[in-house]
Amino acid sequence: MSVKAFELVPAVERDLLMGDKARINIECIECCGKHLYVGTNDCFIHHFLLDEVTSSKGKLSYSSQKLLHKYLGLKKPVAELRAASALERLIVLCDGIVFLVDMVTLETVPSAAGGGVKIRGVTAFCINENPVSGDPFCVEIAVLCSKRRTVQIYMVYEDRVQLVKEMNTPQQPCAVSLDGYFLCLALATQYMILNYNTGASQDLFPYNSEERRPIVKWINREEFLLAAPGGLGMFANAEGISQRAPVKWSESVIAAAVCFPYVVALDENFITIHSMLDQQLKQTLSFRDGHILQDFEGKVMLASTKAVYVLVPLPLERQIQDLLASRRVEEALILTEGAQRNIPKDKFQILHRRILQQAGFIQFGQLQFLEAKEHFRKGELDVRELISLYPLLLPASSSFTRCHPPLHEFADLNHLAQGDQEKVLQCKRFLISYLGEVRSTEMVNGCREDVDTALLKLYAEQDHESLLDLLATENACVLADSVPWLEKYHKYFALGLLYHYHCQDSAAVKLWIRVADGDLQDSTRSGLFEYIVDFLCSSSSQDLVWKHADWALQKDPTIGVHIFTKRPAGKDHTDLNPDDVITYLGKHNHALLLYLEHLVLERRIQKEKLHTHLAVLYLERVLSLLSKSPTDAEQLNRARERLQAFLRESNLYRVQFLLGKMENCEQLLLERATLHGKLEEHDKALHILVHKLRDFPSAEAFCIWASSSRDSAYRQRLFHLLLGVYLDGSPGKGQTANDGGGKLEMAAVDLLNQHGEVFDPVRVLRMLPEGWSLQLLRPFLNRAVRASMHACRTSQIALGLAHSENLQLLHDRLKERKKPILVSEKKGCHLCHNTFSEPAVVCLPGGVPVHTHCVAQRVRDSPTKRHLTNSSNHT
Amino acid sequence: MPDLSKMKKPDVKVVLLGDMNVGKTSLLHRYMERKFKDTISTVGGAFFLKQWGPYNISIWDTAGREQFHGLGSMYCRGAAAVILTYDVTNWQSLAELEERFLSLTDTANHDCIYALVGNKADLTDPRAQLPPEAAGLPEDQTEEERTEPRVPSACPTPPASPTSPSGALLHKQVAGEDAAALYGRILRYKGLDEKGSLPAEKMCFETSAKTGYNVDALFETLFDLVLPSILRKRHENQESPTVDLEDFRGVGTKRARSTCC
Repeated sequence: MSVKAFELVPAVERDLLMGDKARINIECIECCGKHLYVGTNDCFIHHFLLDEVTSSKGKLSYSSQKLLHKYLGLKKPVAELRAASALERLIVLCDGIVFLVDMVTLETVPSAAGGGVKIRGVTAFCINENPVSGDPFCVEIAVLCSKRRTVQIYMVYEDRVQLVKEMNTPQQPCAVSLDGYFLCLALATQYMILNYNTGASQDLFPYNSEERRPIVKWINREEFLLAAPGGLGMFANAEGISQRAPVKWSESVIAAAVCFPYVVALDENFITIHSMLDQQLKQTLSFRDGHILQDFEGKVMLASTKAVYVLVPLPLERQIQDLLASRRVEEALILTEGAQRNIPKDKFQILHRRILQQAGFIQFGQLQFLEAKEHFRKGELDVRELISLYPLLLPASSSFTRCHPPLHEFADLNHLAQGDQEKVLQCKRFLISYLGEVRSTEMVNGCREDVDTALLKLYAEQDHESLLDLLATENACVLADSVPWLEKYHKYFALGLLYHYHCQDSAAVKLWIRVADGDLQDSTRSGLFEYIVDFLCSSSSQDLVWKHADWALQKDPTIGVHIFTKRPAGKDHTDLNPDDVITYLGKHNHALLLYLEHLVLERRIQKEKLHTHLAVLYLERVLSLLSKSPTDAEQLNRARERLQAFLRESNLYRVQFLLGKMENCEQLLLERATLHGKLEEHDKALHILVHKLRDFPSAEAFCIWASSSRDSAYRQRLFHLLLGVYLDGSPGKGQTANDGGGKLEMAAVDLLNQHGEVFDPVRVLRMLPEGWSLQLLRPFLNRAVRASMHACRTSQIALGLAHSENLQLLHDRLKERKKPILVSEKKGCHLCHNTFSEPAVVCLPGGVPVHTHCVAQRVRDSPTKRHLTNSSNHT
Repeated sequence: MPDLSKMKKPDVKVVLLGDMNVGKTSLLHRYMERKFKDTISTVGGAFFLKQWGPYNISIWDTAGREQFHGLGSMYCRGAAAVILTYDVTNWQSLAELEERFLSLTDTANHDCIYALVGNKADLTDPRAQLPPEAAGLPEDQTEEERTEPRVPSACPTPPASPTSPSGALLHKQVAGEDAAALYGRILRYKGLDEKGSLPAEKMCFETSAKTGYNVDALFETLFDLVLPSILRKRHENQESPTVDLEDFRGVGTKRARSTCC
């Protein structure tokens, strides 16, 4: 309740009408533009000029000026007055007679020659609000007659009236409205719609007209408002359908009118105002002795028995604002949206948006965030209006000022929450979710910086996980404003990201380094050191890398060197020159080693310098470990293994240089052997291995390694060399019989027995000392004999196979080249000219068959021919 | 004069009829606002617009009180569907449908669809005490459900309306067969062929506005069934005011087809 939709403004006061004459009452009124006509019970018509006066405060009042009054001479009350302004006539009903009066002079219009100007026996009449005839100089009226159950349709002209149609009704009608062909009638016990053109009728609903005064009020094209049982105001259209829900009046309702979107009704004591949009009672005005309520061209006028009033609607915006002020959001929106048709489109949109925004803020203030969000969205709220509620969120650089008049009553969030921190928190969470949703939409066009900065601040303050996402993706956070904020909440990692986003990588790294070093506290990211290394690693700025690599290498060389080793091999990266890096890493031994390993082992750069450098580093490490005491055996072993492996696998390093470096180190014999091997000085290598190291497995491994990419002859040569070395050192040759010699001998035997296949057994047998037992060499000899036997047999098989293949080929050839040779008893031999008696013949070249003995004879005769070329049998 | 017509023109009209206190307003509230709230006796009538796909369906809630009885036939004028509502715990409410309300539907469309709805099922049927998701009964099982013997359980339920004095289940005064029989009589009253019309098992519902049981099924079934009516109305508005018999037959067969599934 208590919307102030209308104000009751006096128009004609009592003293202007009837002065102190107590018995004179107002019976009817008519208003046409500024002209107000009042009919009284003493048969007078009063004519007033009504002027709207707007005071300086915007308050509307009326000043009325009496122009004329006229006695109609019938001594009866003036029951009805209707203006026909195009005809300059008033249609008057008085004493059951309808007649015309001049609007200006109020003189009764005399009858014209063509027809009468009076209709008698009339109880009520109405004007067609929506006439079918297009003639502007006539008015169509429907007339109810007192005696017959009929309705008559008349055309009213300037000086005559003409009956057009007469319709019978089932009961006596007592009230009527007319729209087009449709008559809406109140009969004694019901309402009905009657089409006077087709005669079709439609019952609406029952109503006891004797009990309660019926109301038939035309409100709109083909739509009527009717008083229904139970004090209802029912809507019905010409088809007899109700398209709006009814409104609830009091039982004693006298009159009703529509002033969109309100239905105004008058009863004995009150004016009630219902909204047609939600059927709710919106306003009640006290009004005593009222008996007339009518709307004239949208102006609602009322009259008591003594005075006339105008019901002035308050401006729509004012009504809506009143509703909003009392936080009746839904009603305000319904009213706004209901007014859509009455307001120009562009103006409506502005109004609607503003109301939506205001509604949103009201709901926001009530923490109804879901609804608020919806209204903000629909109302296309400038997000900054909302952000500005939160102190300090908008960047200092923002040009935003709140709209005027303000959309809400809140100074800021603290004002809204009244110190309730839980409320503040809820509001902040809402803003986080709201900004998160809108920041990627068009709604934030033009204020992206404000929105993103605000969001960043909220995230930082609320320790929100999305802070990093915001900074890692495209954003418009204002740096100057965000820095102090992030610092305040110790979000240094995030601040670094922001610096990075603003291409201030140097500042970012500096900041992170302070965090990593523990100068600043921010636990956002564990493993920040690795992150910084990664960052430098992928940084395209060489300056930045050079500047901070030192720090990283000192902190942890193993990870720090990733800056150089894990750089993505993209074209856009101006790659660091390896030589520069090596020079730079000079003082970081370990890192340098890792870097060289990266270059040599991973990137497989084939450069002598790098390989030598790496070998030297390996060597130096081994040497340094050796020089320590006590030596860490495990470390040493690992270092040596690396060195050895590298020495074996790489072919690029400068062997002599390295050899020189370890010349006088007696502990690195294995490495020296490898180097000698690289120089193909296998005898030296084997000498070291066998005599100095007495490491026979390594010696064998050396042979295999040194010959790994060579042919078997080379390998054989190496093994023989080794065998030679073993045998040379054995006591068979030297006279000193010590256990070492025996070991060499055993090594030789093992070598032969294990790698027998490599050796040439014949040469071995020649080399072996005479005194060795056969038993000792049995595995070797077994294998040798077996191998030789195997070879022999294999070759025999090969020979046989080759022979048969040859035969086969010969056969094939013959088959291709020779025709069959026919031998018969009738054919003669070319040599002896005798006939053949047996199938065995010899074929001479050219396929000529001859006797075998003839050929033998001939061969014997000619000494030059030793062989028969060919022989075969053909039948 | 401003144009007073509503912004959205309804395409079709559905009307709720029934004696006072059977729960028409509550049914509509449950469907439109998804909640059950205390309502006061409806004055005159009220209506809601429901967006159903591309169509606007106006649903009229009428006043059950005798006082407003005369308005009923006006509300029914041009209706495409009428929901005749009774209270399963009140035999009289079913009888009133036949005695008072059936004649009001004379003004409805000639192809109007009638649904018989027994509301307040939660008072007699433990199954209806669960929200519809939990009960999970599609409406084609309602027949079966009806034939099951009802064992009044002692399971206490909070009073759903002033008519339930205790928490225990009330005696069910209107059985499903009674409603189905009335549905048959309605068809006869309308002069409709029972075979060509929608079958009783499809058009008789038992609902609970309080728990939401079967409420969506009721409205959605009806909306789907009135779609041909909407299309025909649109067609008429576009083409000509004459009724196309061919088209009408098409609608009829479509409806007949929909009954067999």
